[in-house]
Amino acid sequence: MLDFGSQTPLRSQTLWHAVAHGVSAGEPPTLSFVTPSAPYVSIGYHRRLKEIDLDSCRSHGLPVFRRMVGGGPVYLDRNQLFFQISLPSELVPAFGPRAMRYLLTPAVEAFNDVGVPATFDERGDISVGEAKISGIAGGQIEGCSLAVGNLVHAFDYDAMAMVLGVAEEPLYTELVRMMRTYFHPTPVDQDAFKAALIARYASAFDLEPGSGLLSDHERAQLSELDARFTDPGWLSGPDRADPPARQIKIRSGVWVFSALHQDTRVTGSVIGERFERLHVEDPLSDGQVAAIEAALAGERIDEMEDVLAPFGATGERVVAAISRIDGRNL
Amino acid sequence: MSDRVVGGYTIDVDLLYDGERHVWLLILGEGRARVGMDPLGVETMGDVVQMYLQEPGVALNRGAAFGTIEAAKFVGPLTMPVSGTILTNNQAVASDPGLLTRDPFGEGWLIEIEPSDPAEFDLLVRGEEQVVEWFESKVRDYGAKGMLAE
Repeated sequence: MLDFGSQTPLRSQTLWHAVAHGVSAGEPPTLSFVTPSAPYVSIGYHRRLKEIDLDSCRSHGLPVFRRMVGGGPVYLDRNQLFFQISLPSELVPAFGPRAMRYLLTPAVEAFNDVGVPATFDERGDISVGEAKISGIAGGQIEGCSLAVGNLVHAFDYDAMAMVLGVAEEPLYTELVRMMRTYFHPTPVDQDAFKAALIARYASAFDLEPGSGLLSDHERAQLSELDARFTDPGWLSGPDRADPPARQIKIRSGVWVFSALHQDTRVTGSVIGERFERLHVEDPLSDGQVAAIEAALAGERIDEMEDVLAPFGATGERVVAAISRIDGRNL
Repeated sequence: MSDRVVGGYTIDVDLLYDGERHVWLLILGEGRARVGMDPLGVETMGDVVQMYLQEPGVALNRGAAFGTIEAAKFVGPLTMPVSGTILTNNQAVASDPGLLTRDPFGEGWLIEIEPSDPAEFDLLVRGEEQVVEWFESKVRDYGAKGMLAE
């Protein structure tokens, strides 16, 4: 077990990546903890850097780092305790969702131990009811499979919106509303949660818990990772085409969007396959906007053309705008 | 191409397979082979949402990562079945990883390579009888571990 305490934003990322390299090289399975000493932003390995408003982050003094595990852009600060479980890959039975469940089930049990009735839900999130409570990600780094998660004491929803460059209405209000509804902090005792995590992981993987220090190999890796994570080339990540519409995932299966077709803009939220709430701006509309918003709420996305058929040209423009969204990977 | 249904999956028994990583190899001709994932490997990964494939010109050893793949926020490597140099990558599947599921032996191919050591072909599972036996055993093994959809 390695408790790094409070670390700079850079080290709060690179330390646990270095541990993964160490476990890959033969260090024992490791549970680590870290809290960032200052706010920053982290983006998942495959994600487009354009999902983040870099200018806004810069003006607010937020460094941005690309991690080597999955998921999207996230805002991190000292109100979040991060934990990482790193195991040799041969001990982890699968890839993807099964690996995540295997690696994070002890964490779910630890949440329950401290009074948070969490589950690892069928969508792959750690949740209480409909709300996600922990930001999780995972990956294989060399021969180490790891998962990361956090205990969130409080979450700055406005800062998250700023990081994403969402300032204009109505997307801002809808984004913050959906985040408040579907992502909940769990302000429990941090030391009790750490103790529960240590006990649960030791039990699950038949380990004898003990405190440790970074190995020489891990220290060497740390220096390389510090350089890599501050390299603009690494940060820029994959070169991917811009999507035709703005889409922001709140939790698995829950997202908000803003889509434009000519002068018609539709902003809305989606839960599963259905629209939750919509806001239509259409300068050519003949007073049907409110009726269209009401007609689509609760309807399946793939049935919108039928639903909007009675609304003529206005309905066609709304369909054209919404057709630009793509929820496949959300 | 010789398709057979094995353990509920349609596989091409003419291909060569990396038995641990579920990566197939199709020898296209002298100095060129195509690489992809078999449907069992695809299923055990879950829904793939992101993928990165290395650019042409990169030389890699057997087992090295020629790309990365992400499912359920878990990023893992795609590994070379044999050593070689990447000749081209399939941008269609990189843009739409769902092709892996829909057409793993066709439009869902991943890269084409120039193998550097044809002797490594002998390390792969090949021949209809061996491929069927190997694939059936993997389906049984993964099923017993609860890694496959019911």
